[in-house]
Formats: sequence, C-alpha cells, structure tokens
Amino acid sequence: MTVRDVMQGLFQEVFDDPDLEISDELTADDVELWDSLEHINLIIATENRFKIKFTTAEMSRLKEHDQNVGSFIRMIESKLSD
Amino acid sequence: MTDLATGNSLTQYLTLDPSRRRELYPAFRAEINAMCQGGRAEEALASLRQAVSISDDYSTSLALYRLLKKARAAQEMGETTNTKPLKLAILGSYTTMQLTWLIDLFLFGSGVDVEIYQAEYGVLRQEIYNPESELYKFQPQIALLLAGYRDVTQFPEMGASLATVREMCGSELEGWQQLWNLLNERLGCQIVQNTFAVPAWDTLGHLENRLPFSMGSYLGRLNQGMFDDAPSYVVLHDLERVSAVHGKWDWSDDRFYFDAKLPCAPEHLPTLAHSLCSQVLAITGKSKKCLVLDLDNTLWGGVIGDYGLGGIVLGQNDPQGEAFIAFQQYCKRLKERGVILAVCSKNDEANAREPFLQHPEMVLRMDDITAFFANWDDKATNLQRIAEEINIGIDSLVFVDDNPMERGIVRRFLPEVGVPEMPEDPAGYVRALDRNRYFEMVSLSREDLERSQMYAADARRKAKSSSSVDLDDYLKSLNMTAVVEPLNDVNFERFGQLINKSNQFNLTTRRYSAADLARLRCDAKWFTRAFRLKDQYGDNGLICVVIGSLGDEALEIDTWLMSCRVLNRGMEALVMRHIHDLARDAGLKYVAGEYLPTAKNAMVKDHYQGLGFEKIAESDEGNTSWRLPVNDDETRWPNYIAEESN
Repeated sequence: MTVRDVMQGLFQEVFDDPDLEISDELTADDVELWDSLEHINLIIATENRFKIKFTTAEMSRLKEHDQNVGSFIRMIESKLSD
Repeated sequence: MTDLATGNSLTQYLTLDPSRRRELYPAFRAEINAMCQGGRAEEALASLRQAVSISDDYSTSLALYRLLKKARAAQEMGETTNTKPLKLAILGSYTTMQLTWLIDLFLFGSGVDVEIYQAEYGVLRQEIYNPESELYKFQPQIALLLAGYRDVTQFPEMGASLATVREMCGSELEGWQQLWNLLNERLGCQIVQNTFAVPAWDTLGHLENRLPFSMGSYLGRLNQGMFDDAPSYVVLHDLERVSAVHGKWDWSDDRFYFDAKLPCAPEHLPTLAHSLCSQVLAITGKSKKCLVLDLDNTLWGGVIGDYGLGGIVLGQNDPQGEAFIAFQQYCKRLKERGVILAVCSKNDEANAREPFLQHPEMVLRMDDITAFFANWDDKATNLQRIAEEINIGIDSLVFVDDNPMERGIVRRFLPEVGVPEMPEDPAGYVRALDRNRYFEMVSLSREDLERSQMYAADARRKAKSSSSVDLDDYLKSLNMTAVVEPLNDVNFERFGQLINKSNQFNLTTRRYSAADLARLRCDAKWFTRAFRLKDQYGDNGLICVVIGSLGDEALEIDTWLMSCRVLNRGMEALVMRHIHDLARDAGLKYVAGEYLPTAKNAMVKDHYQGLGFEKIAESDEGNTSWRLPVNDDETRWPNYIAEESN
C-alpha cells in the first residue's frame, strides 16, 4: 500500500466519513470537521500508523494555509525515506 | 434478545477482550450507525456504554466518543430521558477539549451521564475569582482543577535558604486554599485538585530532591502541603504519582504542549481522563466494592480438581508460583483496606476449599473470603448469587478470571460487572487489575478497615436460585468448531496425558499406558476419538477423549473424559451425537455407558441421565450402567458446535 492509500483510509477513520475521498488539493477548509482539534488527532493517528514522529516545526508547518493533503503526504514520504 | 443474524458482530465486539476487538471495530461502527439511523438510539447507547475501555488507544477512544455524540443526537430526536446528569466543571490551564471528551466517554461507560462545563483555556483563576463568571452560572456539583507546574506562581532561586523556601511554599498554598474557599463558599461543590507533576528532567541530578530550592523538591513540598492541609471538600488527584507510574518522559510529549497545550502526551490522555473519572466515581459512591476471584490458574497454577494439593503451582520454589503469591498478596491488601473478596469457581466445593485450608503457601485463607461459590453452574448466575449473599449491587462487582470465555459470558450477561482483561502470564495479573482503578476512594475510615469482618459475620447463605441466564444465543454466537480425529501420532502424547491426569470429568477413570494405547489403536474392535475445540477466542486444543468398543448389539463407551474448561459449552452434546452416529453407522441398536464413582468425579454422576440414557443397573459401590437406543431423532442434543473431521 502506498502512503496515499493508507492516508485515504485514515482520513475516513479520523473524520468518520466513509465517503471522504482525498486529493492533493484537499485542504482543511474543504473538510467540515477538520479544525485545529481534529488536526491534532490526524497527526497522532498518522504518527502511530507510520511509526514516525513529526518535529515541532513540522507540526506547526502543517497548520499553515498553503498546506494541503499533497504536501502532507510528501512530508510523510520524506520522513519514511530518512 | 439480540437478533443473531444482525447482532453477531456487536455481541462479539462487546464480549471479546478489548485488545482483541480492533479488527471488529468497522463492523461495530456500522452496527451502531445503523441503530442510530433506524430509531434504535437507546440500543446504540447501551452498546456503546459497554464498549468503553481503558485499553483502547487515543484514536479509538475518540472514535467511540464520536459515535456516542451521534447516538445522543439520535436519541434527542426521539424521547428525552429523565435522569438528571451530574454537573461537572473542568478548569485547566491547558487545552482541555480532548480531555473533556474522554472524561465524558469514561463516565458514560461507568453509567454516569454528565453535563460538562469547560472553562476557556488558561483562565482558571479568573473564572474562580469573578463571581459573574459562567462557572457560577453553571452551578457544578464537582469542579476539576487541572493545574500543572507551569501554574505555580514562582519558584525559589538557586541557593535559596530553607526558611525562604518554606515561606514561599506557604504563600503559594495559601493562594490555592483561597481558590478552594471561594469555590466552596459560592458553590458548595466538591473539588478535585491535581497535585503537581514533577517534570522528568532535573538540573541538579541526584541533589534535586535533597536541596530544598530545587524545582523537584519545591513541587514535592507543595504536594505534601496539599495532602496535609486540604479540607474535606477537596479531593487530591495525585497526578505526580500517575505520571511517575507511566514514566515521566513518556507521560509528557512537550511537542504537543508547545503546539497545542495538551496536558500530557496524547496517548496518555485516556489514562489521565480515566484516572480523574475514577475519583469522580468515588465521590459519587460508584466505585466497585467486591473483588470476585476465579481459582484455577487465577489464584494458583493448574487445576486443583485434577492435580491435587501437591500438583498446583503456588509458592516460592517456582517463578510462576511466586507470581500467583504476589497476586494473592495484592488481593489480600485490597481486602485489608475494605474491598470484599469472593470466590467464583467451577470446581467441586471440597476441592476448591482444600488449598485455602491446607496449602502452606496460600496467602488468602477462608476467613478472607466473604462469599465462596464453587460449583458447576455458569458464572453469571454465581455472580448474581454472590451479590445477593453479600447484599450489594451487581454493579459493585469486579470479576477476575484467567479464562477469556468466562470473561465473555459475564460481559454478555452482566455488563455492569467490571471484567478486566487478564494476560496469560500471572506475573501481569496485578498490573492488569490495578490499572482499572476500580476501588478508588476519597477517604479511608475505620469502617473500611473492618468491613470484611462485618460482611463475613453477616453473610447468610441464601437459597440458591437455579441458573437464571440464557446461554443459548451466546453459545451460538461463539462460532465454535470441533475437530474430531482418531488417536494418531500427533495427538498421541496429549491423548495419553489426559487419560492419565483427568479426574473430574471422567466417567470411568481408567488409566492406559502408552503401550496400552498403541495396542488399542491397532485393534479393529476398538475405536478412539480425540476432540479439539476452536472458538472466537482461539484454539482450546485437545480437550476431550473417548474410547469405546463395538459389540454385537451395542457400542460400549469405555472411557469418556473432558477438560472442565469447556464445560457447559455444548461439547457434551457434540460428542454424544458423534458417538451415537458411530453406533448407527455400525448398525448397532444401543449406546452403552457406565459411571464408576471416585473421590473426584461426582460432577459426572448424572452425566448419562442428562443425555437421555436409561439406567439399567446400579451396584452397591454406586457403579451405574446406562443404555440409549439408537434412532434418527436428531433433536435430542442441542447443536452449538460445527463438527470437522480430520
């Protein structure tokens, strides 16, 4: 399974929406429940699933407005290849 | 009753040990969603109440909370309930949102509905000082004050004198005392105040606790001051201890403090919420009161009815034996502080009592046990009897059993009983029980210390009611399969071991050596059968052995024995049907069996009678002979287990 496949399932779980389809362009603004609290839950679920840890800088970077699912997945991929 | 066709995955999810539920979660979620949409919100709520567990990780707990919100919303569209929720205020200098959800979830799981007011982040003091604040409009019955070391107004300078440190400590405590006073005057509510968790790091090394001006010793001094002087309306939640128990570096993940102001690492939020809830339950009188213990493989290793006093594993000469001793010592300490102990075991009563009376290394003795139930009835029924005999509610019981099947039965029929998941290794028993915080209390009275004696003196054995729970659909939900095979090279050793060790469920107690068995195997007149049982909890292994011979008219059962672990699960019926069909296929008219009494096998005295045999002879020694006609009536024995042959 690719990182994208795993994240597809994880988004559905975290936001409790079996119909949620992710795309690179998807941002927090597009998902109703994706607020700052759920963002933390998404980070924790991602860390546990991939056995990675985001740095404090990465965590706050992910909250910035130019971020989307595509950049999130690239960040995971680059951490996995470290 | 649950509809089996649709309720199966739900039943499974709720009766399995929490650590084994994960795979079933999607099906469980789908069922709950279907209930919410189908106007069955009450049912969804009841199932969710049972599903809450401290073994779930952060993400699963939050997912459950989301389901809970959905079910509540669905319920509001229907009728509203009349029960008044407990009003709880949470005041913290952290982000308490996630914690609030989890507290709501755990209290709901313990049967307490709450209405929670959450103060804005970081305004703990203002909320309390300002008489116009939302807090006072809300009128909580309990207020949780979740402060951390970052809320301490000032710390001593390096090198400050002991006198200065004492003075500072005094005025800091005065500040907190003032907050408590205000809350008490204005609300008269119960307060739960955190102690300060000392951080993992130190800058003074091993001098940290020795030098009074260090941060570690200063926080310790503040905590001790609160313990010494907190008024009765303040309950102290010992966060310092909780964080130490879980390992301080692990407990705090500062990334989540810097980024989101979470009070601890996210994976410990459920622990923190659960720990706070256990105190809320203690304040509201909902803590558990009685610890009900299984015996075989729970208090000692092995089966007393089969191995006897000398054969069970207990005591200092064996590592596992030491683990059982340690667990007994833990239970004994609980008893000494007022938890009532009871026994619930599938055993003959005399066998079950023997270690308590005779074994030199038993820690628990008969006078530690307030209610003692050892028989062959199902455990749910026995737990009801225990509650009745001690005269406490079923919801005051905690049930400890090494057998996941027994735990499942109790979860299924008595969801209000606390049933901790126990590990296979007895060395983990203390931790498995302790982490549940079942017996939390806000103070310890003389009465607590004398409680066990009181109950013991008071206990009257009440008339035993007959089994009152219906196991039928539960057994069906277990998806049991039996594998039947003749004696072969692979099962030979276990087969012989059972023949020579089983005492209780053993109709004739005939022992056979390996050489005897090898001969039997080659003799066409004889047949041998070994039965393995698998269910959703796993493979129980080879648990039943039958040896018989084919005569002119009848199939004669020479040996029938079974492990007591699988009693009352429909195994007897499956074996009976198998033997019956063997006789039928061989063109015989009867199945014949006998019962030869020993000191240990009284439990199968009426075995053949229960299966529909007719008694045809009885000797002076009590040996009985039985006969059953072969016919095509397939409904004589219940059918819970699917048969597979190898």
